[in-house]
Amino acid sequence: MKRKLVKPRSAFILAACLMLSLAACTNSGNNETAPSSSPSSSSQPTESSTPSSSGEAAPNPDEPAWKLDTSPVELTWFVGANWYAHNWGESLTSKYVTEKTGVSVKIEVPSGEANEQMTLMMTSGQLPDLISMGSWETAVKKLWEGDHVYALNQLADQYDPYFYKVAGDGTLKWYKQPNGNTYGVPNDSYSPNLMHETGMTAANQTFLVRKDLYEEMGRPDLSTPEGFLGALQLLKDNYSKYKGQTMSPFFAQGNVPYGMTEYLQNLLAIPFEKDGKVYDRMTDPDYIKWLKTFRTAYERKLINVDFLVDSDTQVEEKTNNARYFMMIREWTGMTAVNPMLAASANPESYYIAVDGPQNAGGDSAKLFPGNMDGWMVTMISKSTKHPERAIRFLSYLASEEGQKDLFLGKEGETWDTVDGKPQLKADLVQLLETDIAKLEKDYGVLDTYWMMRNPVIVNQWRPEKAPVIKQMEDFANAQADIDSGIYKGLDPLGDSDVAVAWSRISQNWEEVLPELITAKDEAAFDKIWNGFLERRDSYGFDQVVAYRQAELDARKAKMAE
Amino acid sequence: MFERKPGPMKALTRQWQLQSMVIPGIIWMFIFCYIPMFWLMIGFMDYSIARPMLESPFVGFKHFEEFLSDDRFWRSIRNTLGMSSIKLLLGFPIPILFALLLNEIRNLRFKRTVQTISYLPHFIAWTIFGGIALNWLGEGGVVNQLMMALGLQDREILYNSDPKYFWWITYFTDTLKETGWSAIIYIAAIAGIDPGLYEAAELDGANRWQRMWHITVQSIRPTIAILFILAVAGILGSNFEQIFMLKNNMNMKMAESLDLYIYNMGLVSGRHSFSTAVLFARSIVALGLLLLANYTSKKLTNESIF
Repeated sequence: MKRKLVKPRSAFILAACLMLSLAACTNSGNNETAPSSSPSSSSQPTESSTPSSSGEAAPNPDEPAWKLDTSPVELTWFVGANWYAHNWGESLTSKYVTEKTGVSVKIEVPSGEANEQMTLMMTSGQLPDLISMGSWETAVKKLWEGDHVYALNQLADQYDPYFYKVAGDGTLKWYKQPNGNTYGVPNDSYSPNLMHETGMTAANQTFLVRKDLYEEMGRPDLSTPEGFLGALQLLKDNYSKYKGQTMSPFFAQGNVPYGMTEYLQNLLAIPFEKDGKVYDRMTDPDYIKWLKTFRTAYERKLINVDFLVDSDTQVEEKTNNARYFMMIREWTGMTAVNPMLAASANPESYYIAVDGPQNAGGDSAKLFPGNMDGWMVTMISKSTKHPERAIRFLSYLASEEGQKDLFLGKEGETWDTVDGKPQLKADLVQLLETDIAKLEKDYGVLDTYWMMRNPVIVNQWRPEKAPVIKQMEDFANAQADIDSGIYKGLDPLGDSDVAVAWSRISQNWEEVLPELITAKDEAAFDKIWNGFLERRDSYGFDQVVAYRQAELDARKAKMAE
Repeated sequence: MFERKPGPMKALTRQWQLQSMVIPGIIWMFIFCYIPMFWLMIGFMDYSIARPMLESPFVGFKHFEEFLSDDRFWRSIRNTLGMSSIKLLLGFPIPILFALLLNEIRNLRFKRTVQTISYLPHFIAWTIFGGIALNWLGEGGVVNQLMMALGLQDREILYNSDPKYFWWITYFTDTLKETGWSAIIYIAAIAGIDPGLYEAAELDGANRWQRMWHITVQSIRPTIAILFILAVAGILGSNFEQIFMLKNNMNMKMAESLDLYIYNMGLVSGRHSFSTAVLFARSIVALGLLLLANYTSKKLTNESIF
């Protein structure tokens, strides 16, 4: 009797289980067929892709082609920054653009590291329609080499020759591959000519100090080791506590590999090349001298090692409470904090840019300007069902009209023409200063959708910056080494032997630098330093040097074109 | 039990409804655990995701030679073993003790509250919990304040900057986060003990300690043995998220575990072949450890997985 009771119930559970497992099977089956079919069908964009374009007349190179078809279409757009938190469709500008072009965008961001996520998507063969990724990421190269994305020039030839008019000849050339194709459009790309012309260099590296302390100390000279140590001593003697908490005398952004290496070397104006040969900046005597200065400061307990170990949240907390005295830090990271500090109970506790560590010759810093690589590159994947809409959308966004629509919004609602110049409405400018999150969420203007941002076009529309931000920006602009963009990112990336050698060297350096700073005396410092140089050679540094030289020569050739 | 004991096949056919419920699990395991083994091949190839696997060139033991001759690999082995040993020797008994103590609490409401609160941290991701832990360990953090209030140290110490603390930090934070969760399985095992045993022992005059030792501990011995064998097999594994959150450039010497090594040397640069080779070698060692622990346990306690 008992068994009969059990049977129907267990049979039901069983059926449910089997159904679930069947569903799982069909799902995985779908996934497996998709990648094999999509590259083969889409590698020829000519035939299958679009019925609508076949009926249209040949596209006119002087006329934006997006106007030909404004029927609703949804494009997925992968934005390779896990912190990117904006949506499409809620803000005013995004609604306006969708209404105008018919394109609604579904933004996807990686849950973890963009590079890894993209690699995963590549192996599964399912890519979003549009992809924006940091130009330095290894996945970008793999997307190009693995034929996962369309050559933009081919799409433009076919669907929208207007693209050539707006995409900027220089940047297209800069990203041209050896096979003659260009696969991505960069944002925030700066050419040296443009920087010379406008004085806007996009340099963001600054050396910052807290204004009130610096002035109370009588504006000490921080550019020499003696002055630097002296100021730290003053801080320790007189200002070691702030609002009941311990002051952190020093901070370097991006920890060892950035703040304490490349960035510090830029402040010291250490050259990248000497007599046409790539220069080994690490062994420059000025750099070593300053590392020894940091060691001395640590030995005298003038600095702590918190800047080498703090998590991002800890750094943020200290910054917001003005607990740092000096910072090797990009001013762009201070645009929210500085106005806040200037409006706090202690209005002088904000940060200003001053001359930081300098080389023995007292040369002023040579900072990285923006460069041709830009920040992110945007590509059109071959998984897209609407390559024609995608290229037209990109060319619209790249055009002055698209830039204006995304940056300023809709005329009359978010901006007006004042003296023949577009100007953001006053309440929005107000919002920019008080509640930037609301501004971006509700209106979506300015830097909300930066994936295709072209600084040449949009910078003229930017509202005047607050003085506490402008001081830092001007300082950085004045010290930018405009022609040094070519040296940025010369190091090998990826999985080649030379890239592995470089990755081992740089990972080792990340461990060595803290040892150098905490070394008990100069002799110990020298020993650790020599140990590092030996290890560096054994990991294959000579290959890295050769790679950098070849890369630099190739870039020079490209610039000369 | 009036029937004769049926043979294994007969039992299987009689219980076919119940037995077939395991099929989805087997399918799942086959898809996610067995099929991927095919791709272990790439450990012996120079594989690139840009081209199909079978077109990649075979390179034999190149990747194995590479990591076996890397001193950083051996350092990561040392760190992994160090952290795992602490966790195994000092961390393994804690959930058992916790479950035993919890079992002795008479007030049901209090018991449940304690149990719930103790396993809640398990549900906080390491990315969050690690951040909280870093704040505790920072200069103004609760650890420093406590130690200074107790007079155990006279000035603030940056605990996560000194490599010598790192293994202990991983041990303490892990214990704090996972004790309640790991205790659940023991609590369940304890709940399955026949109350008659306790009543009989009480009549025979056994005190609470004796009952705890002779009844509770002995009854959950199989559970303990199995979990111990699995823990030994996992000794070359580490909690990647935990270490990833707590590590920094200063404690890297003691923090880089095998997992982190694979991440740093392999995945960061997209070297899938290299990562696979290291993982493959690790799995072989883990299998050896599992067999060894199983064998030892069988000999010593008569409990084993197979």
